[in-house]
Amino acid sequence: MKKRGFHFYFRIYCKIMAQDIKSKMSYRADFIISTIGMIFTNIAGFISFWILFRNFPSIDGWTYYEMLFLYGFSLISLTPVQCLFDNNWSLRQNVYSGDFIKYCFRPINTFFYYQSEIFDIKGLGQLAFGIGTLIYAWCNIGLGFSALMLLKLLVFLITASLIMIALQNTAAATCFWIQNSFYVLDLANRFRDYAKYPITIFSPVFRFFFTFVFPIAFIAYYPSLVLLRPDDVPVLSWISPLFGIAFFWLSYKIWMHGASQYSGTGS
Amino acid sequence: MSAIIEIRNITKEFKVLNRREGLKGSLKDLFSRDYKTVRAVDNISMTIEQGEIVGYLGPNGAGKSTTIKMMTGVLEPTSGEILVGGNVPYQNRTRNAQEIGVVFGQRSQLWWALPLVESFKILKDIYQIPDADYEDMLSLYRSLVDIEPLLHKPVRQMSLGQRTLSDILAAFLHNPKIVFLDEPTIGLDVSMKSKIRTLIHALNQKKNTTVILTTHDMGDVDALCHRIVIIDKGKMLYDNDIEHLKSFFGSYRTLRLRIDGDLKAQAEIIGKEIPECSVSADEEWISVLVDEEKAKVIDVLAKLQKTHRIKDMQLMEISTEEVIKKIYEEGVK
Repeated sequence: MKKRGFHFYFRIYCKIMAQDIKSKMSYRADFIISTIGMIFTNIAGFISFWILFRNFPSIDGWTYYEMLFLYGFSLISLTPVQCLFDNNWSLRQNVYSGDFIKYCFRPINTFFYYQSEIFDIKGLGQLAFGIGTLIYAWCNIGLGFSALMLLKLLVFLITASLIMIALQNTAAATCFWIQNSFYVLDLANRFRDYAKYPITIFSPVFRFFFTFVFPIAFIAYYPSLVLLRPDDVPVLSWISPLFGIAFFWLSYKIWMHGASQYSGTGS
Repeated sequence: MSAIIEIRNITKEFKVLNRREGLKGSLKDLFSRDYKTVRAVDNISMTIEQGEIVGYLGPNGAGKSTTIKMMTGVLEPTSGEILVGGNVPYQNRTRNAQEIGVVFGQRSQLWWALPLVESFKILKDIYQIPDADYEDMLSLYRSLVDIEPLLHKPVRQMSLGQRTLSDILAAFLHNPKIVFLDEPTIGLDVSMKSKIRTLIHALNQKKNTTVILTTHDMGDVDALCHRIVIIDKGKMLYDNDIEHLKSFFGSYRTLRLRIDGDLKAQAEIIGKEIPECSVSADEEWISVLVDEEKAKVIDVLAKLQKTHRIKDMQLMEISTEEVIKKIYEEGVK
């Protein structure tokens, strides 16, 4: 038996993804309607944002364009979790019904095998939205452009994505222990909405909560500071990549621990 | 022949919450937890040779699935040892998975939206099956069943029978040493059942694959298994050849007779004439249960023919199903 390294997993992932997209495309109406739905969700989010700023020119020293920057940033960093880890939403159902057991019989990593099954193509539309918003905000703030800034942007986008994924993995993995873990996942998803706002607008209690307990401040706020407020970057921003990696690793371990304890239902 | 599965004194215990009744009880459960230990599998040992087809039987809740989950590495035994192809399944789940194939109940393990052939291609990559072996296997499949109509059909659109067939083919694809089949014929029509039995038998013969078959359908057992293992309440009741099973319970045959007159009264008279057999009667027949070790059926018949006018008769072999039923109900004495 050959060793199953990164190359092996990458190849399998591409194959499964290609097949998944192919089969989804064959349901044309389904594909079109869900894409339209996604567009409207984003437009609605955008409009409520715009209305808010018609009334308040700035929030706690954050201008409209800076807020838009945060918004675009969080949309982009949401893409990987939406596209690649969407099967987490079905985990509860799979565990409850006993179907999860099929993921235990393959000679490959259970987490990988489970997540590879679904590729949610709608996330790509969201990505386009996010990029558009970010570029628009970027130009209007007049940040300028350099290779270093692009590098920073990429690093911190990856950081933010890792945290998003980690949050969702952890929330989804609770179903290995709790029956009704939908609420945990839903709660995590709702809290994620707060990621679009600068953390300074919250009271100290929530600031602490969103930084250390439920670290959504790392999704957009701390990373964005590096680009938006380069003169005054807190230490937390610089360590956020490390934090992202650590948190992702931890969430993976929790997920796998849950999966290894899984014993299925009777048959 | 060499042992492919070795199980020594395995026991699996689960901690189960003692649930109290009613809403009040549920509230109490929230605060004070009262666990009890349930022994799902109790000190089971067996050795299975490469190439055997073993019927693994037992009533619902007997511990069959738990044993299989331990053999496949999903569960860790509380105590005891399991070696599957030289591996300890729980510790080397990935390596063990390469050597086994599993078809679990009615749950398809194939990609729901994909045509079968695409699932096969992904499995080929996952199990790292060499091209030549893959092609050989496919041509073997072609010679055994008509797979062409299945290959390009998404699994989702298949009938239950086609899906089960596909799942079995997928489980054998990487030529595993052992295949676990958990109720493969459940819910299928007669012709599909027989198709699947033929397929399993042929694959076992051609590839010398060990098959562990769990089923409630004695037709499967009669068609496929030489050896059966029966467990109930976690304990092993029986582990031997299927022929042995019948003689184990005495080689009983039932002679059914139709005689003039009141059957109940006649049955009593017959019972006195042949005290070595037990006699009973229903509306149509008098049944004489003959233990072949004590008396020959033909002798009993000859004896009765002298004293009674027999209008009609039937001779019935005791079926595997009846023997198993007897074991489930009474246990092994």
